[in-house]
Amino acid sequence: MRNIWFIIIGLLFGSCQEEIFLELRTVDPTPAIEAIWTNNGNLNQVKIMYSKDYYDQDLNQIIEDAEVSITNLRTGQEIGFRFSQQARRYLPLNNFGGRIGERYQLNVKIGENEYISEGTLLPPPILDSVKYEFKEKRFFREEGYYLTVYGKIPFEEENNYRIRIIQNDTLKNSRFDYLLFDDSFGTSILDKGFELSGFPFAANDRVRLELYRLNTDAFNYLRQLVDLLFNDGGLFSPPPQNPKSNIRVKSGKGEVLGYFLVSPYLSEVVEIIPDE
Amino acid sequence: MKFLTLLLSAMIILNFSAFAQNEKFISGLVLEVDGGTPLPGANIYWEAEPQKGVVSDIDGNFLIEVSTLPAKLIISYVGFTPSIRIMTVRDLEKPLKFYLKPEELSLQEIIIRDTNPEQHVLGTEMGKSVVSMETIKNIPALFGEVDLLRSLQLLPGVQTAGEGTTGLFVRGGSADQNLIQLDGAPVYNPSHFFGFFSVFNPDALSGVEFYKGNIPAELGGRVSSVVDVSLREGNYQNIRGEGGIGTISSRLTLDGPIVADKSSFIISGRRTYADLFLRLSNNANIRNNQLYFYDLSGKATFKLSEKDKLSVSSYYGSDFLGIANQFGLGWNNFVSSLNWSRNISSTSFFDLNVYNSRYNYQVIFDDEGSGFNWNNTLSETGARMEWSWLLANNSVIKAGYHTQFYHFSPINLIPGPDSNFESINTNPRNGLQNNLFLSGTTDIGKRVKVEAGLRYALYQEVGSGVIYQYAGGIPLPDSEIIDTLNLNRLQSAKVFHRFEPRFSMRYLLRDDLSVKAAFNRNHQFVQVATNSSAGLPIDRWVPAGTYIDPLRGDQYSLGIFKNFGLDKWEVSAETYYKDFRNVVDLRQGASVLFTDNVETELLTGVGYAYGMEFLVRKNFGKTTGWLSYTYSRTWRKIEGISGNDWYNPRFDRPHDVTLVFNHEFSKRWMAGLTFVYTTGQAVTFPVGTYEIDTQTLPLYGEQRNADRFPDYHRMDASVTWKGNDKGRKWRGSWNFSIYNLYGRKNPFTFQFTDIINEQINFDQGSGEEITSRRPGVVMTYLFTFLPALTYNFKF
Repeated sequence: MRNIWFIIIGLLFGSCQEEIFLELRTVDPTPAIEAIWTNNGNLNQVKIMYSKDYYDQDLNQIIEDAEVSITNLRTGQEIGFRFSQQARRYLPLNNFGGRIGERYQLNVKIGENEYISEGTLLPPPILDSVKYEFKEKRFFREEGYYLTVYGKIPFEEENNYRIRIIQNDTLKNSRFDYLLFDDSFGTSILDKGFELSGFPFAANDRVRLELYRLNTDAFNYLRQLVDLLFNDGGLFSPPPQNPKSNIRVKSGKGEVLGYFLVSPYLSEVVEIIPDE
Repeated sequence: MKFLTLLLSAMIILNFSAFAQNEKFISGLVLEVDGGTPLPGANIYWEAEPQKGVVSDIDGNFLIEVSTLPAKLIISYVGFTPSIRIMTVRDLEKPLKFYLKPEELSLQEIIIRDTNPEQHVLGTEMGKSVVSMETIKNIPALFGEVDLLRSLQLLPGVQTAGEGTTGLFVRGGSADQNLIQLDGAPVYNPSHFFGFFSVFNPDALSGVEFYKGNIPAELGGRVSSVVDVSLREGNYQNIRGEGGIGTISSRLTLDGPIVADKSSFIISGRRTYADLFLRLSNNANIRNNQLYFYDLSGKATFKLSEKDKLSVSSYYGSDFLGIANQFGLGWNNFVSSLNWSRNISSTSFFDLNVYNSRYNYQVIFDDEGSGFNWNNTLSETGARMEWSWLLANNSVIKAGYHTQFYHFSPINLIPGPDSNFESINTNPRNGLQNNLFLSGTTDIGKRVKVEAGLRYALYQEVGSGVIYQYAGGIPLPDSEIIDTLNLNRLQSAKVFHRFEPRFSMRYLLRDDLSVKAAFNRNHQFVQVATNSSAGLPIDRWVPAGTYIDPLRGDQYSLGIFKNFGLDKWEVSAETYYKDFRNVVDLRQGASVLFTDNVETELLTGVGYAYGMEFLVRKNFGKTTGWLSYTYSRTWRKIEGISGNDWYNPRFDRPHDVTLVFNHEFSKRWMAGLTFVYTTGQAVTFPVGTYEIDTQTLPLYGEQRNADRFPDYHRMDASVTWKGNDKGRKWRGSWNFSIYNLYGRKNPFTFQFTDIINEQINFDQGSGEEITSRRPGVVMTYLFTFLPALTYNFKF
């Protein structure tokens, strides 16, 4: 709706933009935790950093001395994480991965502060195939090859999904590239084929799709993150707020930012070969 | 409450007993000589006793008490030559007609005032303005489009959401807290073009009464203000027309008799041009777009007898935005009302208002995989009847009944034939509200005038519909639904009884100086579930019900009012305090458009507002206008927002200065100037950044709206040139206006974004090498130095 509104402004009235300097308040650095736990050990990681002032041009300070672990709440097994200087994040010892159906707890200790979060590694949906088709240009669509995902969602609850697209080894990560969907419009979305309509590809592109099934709190976090990326602070936007973290402060003081993603991992690679 | 009931009873008993003492009255009707149109709000008083004046009602009727005869009776109406007649005993028996002639020189004067100049001091009204259309038409306008709601924003105590928008934020209330009604029927979305223009065509209107303080008991339903707009009545003598050709739209109005002196009509239309120009483009992407609004309004009035008048009014307005024949967003208001006025006797009157207001929007997206057709409708149907009695001591008693039926249709989303979506169809929500009201106004001695009223609202959540039962009894987003209760048609569920006392009084310190005080309680049973400041066509209204309590607003106000310079000048200072209960806001990340469980997405809380408004106004002469200053604050406290602490809504803008100035250089040349200054909007700016999921995210503090936009100020000017039309049937005038005369860059939004390669709109898909990147702030601003030319005509 905001975009439509700006189309009107552009069509009718025109508008002007210029860069200005605003005096902004500052706060003490706040820890931000991004923890990813899937059934694929190669993806599992925890990234921890401090926030910085808005105009600060340095990189965010990475916290290297935190204590990080993930615990299987049924078995009590604790998986330790070690900071990798090369990756600038914490990686699980022995490339551990989670198991479908298990519930996990994230524990992070930074100095005197302890942070905690939980999530269940849910069963994945069924991903049958990914097909592609060339489509002509329309107003809301560029010319190109478009992928359609076929499969089935057999679940009645916890239907919160994300698709990540990696095009020729580059993650599509602009604010327009978030593909998040739930069962607001039903669960048959994969049955007839779910076209990734906002993503045109070129001939000979190599595309990897990653499908995640998220716990509701993590899904809501990502939805709020996307809302925030589109929030211009204007009249037609809600007042901006930090996405609601599913990580809480167990002991100590202050706030914590970020989220704990627990999800099964499905992927499919497609190479677009043009018709002769 | 008991005090008020006793007071009302006492007033009624005292007045009826006083009336029984054979008081003498003169009754009459005030009409415009050209066309015979009744003049409501005319001032009628005895030359020897000006303080005992009365005001003509909506149909031009009046009744004035007689002390001694013969005596000189003066009938005056701003913009018209006063009529002075010597009344004798013979005039007591017959109804009289007084024809007033327009003053040539004052037609274009700024007249923004209470009902009449003396009423400013003598009446019990507080926070009320009657705005004439002449006033509104003389205010320099955005794109030259004369706009009623934007004109009201120039009154003290009224804030705007932002540049160009027509939403009203009155004394700390949000935009959905204003009852905007047209001939008694509410208008749910009073805006065109996403809020840039209001739905009212100025040529079709007779004026507006705006209540922001003491709302009389016969009106209710919103807690912050009533904007009571009346369609003009056609004249009874000749076919007349007027219209204009403007930058954005053109308009035409015709009015005249259906049967001379018996019935009249008026029909008025307006349409924008933007889409016509788009079709001329060579670019198909532009040519295939549509963007327009139009509105049509009409009114037919029938004088059924000397005592009965019937009018039927209707308004239809529509907006549409279409992009490339693929996307469409349209909305429309269809408002109809029937009004019957009967003079039962010379001292008692009956008014009936039956109405229906229907608002509909539709969103269409034509796409193979994700196409849909989404629409929704809401409506209010009601009937209101009111009896009035004029008694001795300038007393008036009013009593009545108002019934309202709210219907919020199911959200209806139908997927396209090849769409992967499943359809969405929620359940309807309905409310039935019955109101009784009683009010009385009387003089107590020479100095005190009291107005007291009581409104009782019985609101029922009724079927058809569904009420969900949540585990724990509290609707939360993750609450389990343990049962559903299906309501049959008109089956009652949650019931609210609410009393709304209204009280105001005036104490006359001198003939031209008074103090007034008022208390006002209002309840509102429908609210918009939104947390953005400006209204959108797809906003979702939610009625009170099992999980949503009605909004309550209490207002206390106190003011001092003075006239001087033979009523040419008015000065007033008003202060108010408002208390809000059950204000609705949304949970973070709430999604309200398609859910059938909207109650799980809402948060409720409390609020308060206070302020002081100062106004100096000149009503007559070649130079007219006003200067106002308002200091006001407003706060909300809602659990789950802003760390559960008090915060300011976006429209909290403490300092507000408005100057409206109009000068008539000659009969043919006039100029207008407005200047506004307000504190910047309360907003939330980031206090830092961090990275999640490869995104650099702004970090916000816990308190909502702890920052401010820069102060807003702007000056607009206009010049009007009238042709030499003496004796001509066709009378034309040109109006040239400039919005934002000195080109102030008032921010519309701030984007906190990376500045790449020192460019504010760097296209990362352009392939250009990125050589630098730094955090920055980009300001978007609208409408700097915007000229507009309008040709207006009458025939």
